[in-house]
Amino acid sequence: MHGLFRWSGKWWPGVIPLLVLWAVAAWTTTPALEADLATRTTAALKDTVLDKMRIDVSGRDVTFAADAFSEDGRRRALGSAEAVAGVRQVNDESRLVAEAKPFVWSAERDVSRVRVGGSSPLPAIKGKLLEAARASVGGIEVVDQMNLARGAPPEFENAALLLIDQIGKLKEGKITLSDTKVTVSGMARDLGGREAIGSALKNLPQGFSVATNEIKAPPYVFQAYKDPVTMTLTLSGYVPDNNVHANVTAAAARKFFSQKIVDNLKPSVGAPTRFVNAVVPALGALSRLSTGTLVVTDREVKISGDALYEAAVGQIRAGLAKDFPQGWQLKAELSVKPAAAPVDPTVCQQLFSELLEKAKIRFEPGRAGIDPDSAGLLDRLVETALRCPTANIEIAGHTDADGENGFNQALSEKRAQAVADYLVKAGLPAERFTATGYGSSQPVATNGTDEGKAQNRRIDFLVR
Amino acid sequence: MVFLLTFHWGWLLGSALLGLAMGWIAVVHRGPVVSKRMSRWLSLLALVLVVAALARVVPGRAGYWLDLVLVMFAMYLLGCAVGSWLRDRVISRSARPG
Repeated sequence: MHGLFRWSGKWWPGVIPLLVLWAVAAWTTTPALEADLATRTTAALKDTVLDKMRIDVSGRDVTFAADAFSEDGRRRALGSAEAVAGVRQVNDESRLVAEAKPFVWSAERDVSRVRVGGSSPLPAIKGKLLEAARASVGGIEVVDQMNLARGAPPEFENAALLLIDQIGKLKEGKITLSDTKVTVSGMARDLGGREAIGSALKNLPQGFSVATNEIKAPPYVFQAYKDPVTMTLTLSGYVPDNNVHANVTAAAARKFFSQKIVDNLKPSVGAPTRFVNAVVPALGALSRLSTGTLVVTDREVKISGDALYEAAVGQIRAGLAKDFPQGWQLKAELSVKPAAAPVDPTVCQQLFSELLEKAKIRFEPGRAGIDPDSAGLLDRLVETALRCPTANIEIAGHTDADGENGFNQALSEKRAQAVADYLVKAGLPAERFTATGYGSSQPVATNGTDEGKAQNRRIDFLVR
Repeated sequence: MVFLLTFHWGWLLGSALLGLAMGWIAVVHRGPVVSKRMSRWLSLLALVLVVAALARVVPGRAGYWLDLVLVMFAMYLLGCAVGSWLRDRVISRSARPG
């Protein structure tokens, strides 16, 4: 041992090459060592949820900067970095993500994009929400304006996913979640969208509630267009359900006797109340026009077109005012069709016969009251009568053979008179018309079948 | 320390071999000797450096280089000690028969 001390006094010359060796070692190993430590530290933190993570290695010292989402998570991340083999010490520059109070998250949609903003508790949830937004709105651009923050209410993720699903049902609008309160506003994309959003909001996780729901529905539109050239009635827009659909088309078929009905109606929820009570009388009014358009927008009914004669304008307005349900608005822009050229009585008779072959004047069963569905036909008869001002016309009422002769005779007379009264009210001189009842004495078909009876119940116009 | 040994075994082996060679020569070398007073100062310096390394007061790359130089120096000293001891044994064996 004594020798070692003695010899050690002569060991110093080797220190010079040792220092050279050290300098070379330091020069060559430092970048490799730093890269190796950075790789392994990053790998060790791979499973820890952090935001804005930065790893800087200087020598064997690691500077760890990140935003953590909980104190526990921050400590665990720090521990993982310190446990990496070769790391001498960790300079902790990590911090907790700021707490948002109140915790507000929002999704806003306009025509061209969806903006998702506010706070999200974790990057993974943020990603999920963006993905859900993209799935919900299809090809529309989704803009991420979310930042990360602590303080989200429990079940935030489920609530926000449910809400972002609703953004696809909006044409434009905003959904905001402030802590546990939901505010929705805007315009639904489709009819029924407002109702769909309303019912979806009922499925919010426990603890969440709707503070305000100001979703507006798009207008509920029903349209009918009567085209005298193509002889069609085109129905388009919406009806509340299949029952109403059937009612409306059946009413149209009764009222528009000579028109082919083109039915483009679609059933949809969201109809204003008493839709049928407004639409059916409005169709009746349209049937009395030569050409015209009926547009029902929510509770506003707009009817425009040409009446067949002057008096009809007032009658149509008065009839609608009487029949319309409360709370509905009516705008009637009616003019009168220019009078057709006069014709001689023979042509007039031909025109009457043609009209009455296509349809028959209907009455209340067993009574003389004219069915409102026949107003369109009667107006065409008035228009024809106006074209032959010199002709005198017999209005002949006929019944089938059912019931007593006396009753049938009286009924046929009353019905003929009711039709004559209608013509007089239309402004034609009363002296041109003779109302005659023939009871069942002049059948045109057998009274043995229902079909034959139906043919026998009729009003004929005979030019004298 | 284990990490330094495994990561730098080549450099450390080099230091040890250098020490071995220096120790081998030192036994028969007739050069100047470090005085006792000087060796005390050098020991103190080494101690201060060791303490600084253990206390991790030198930051970043400089801290790493300090660790590296101390480990290499330790290996060098170990090499020197082994080298001198071996040379001493070789000399005493050859001297005995003579």
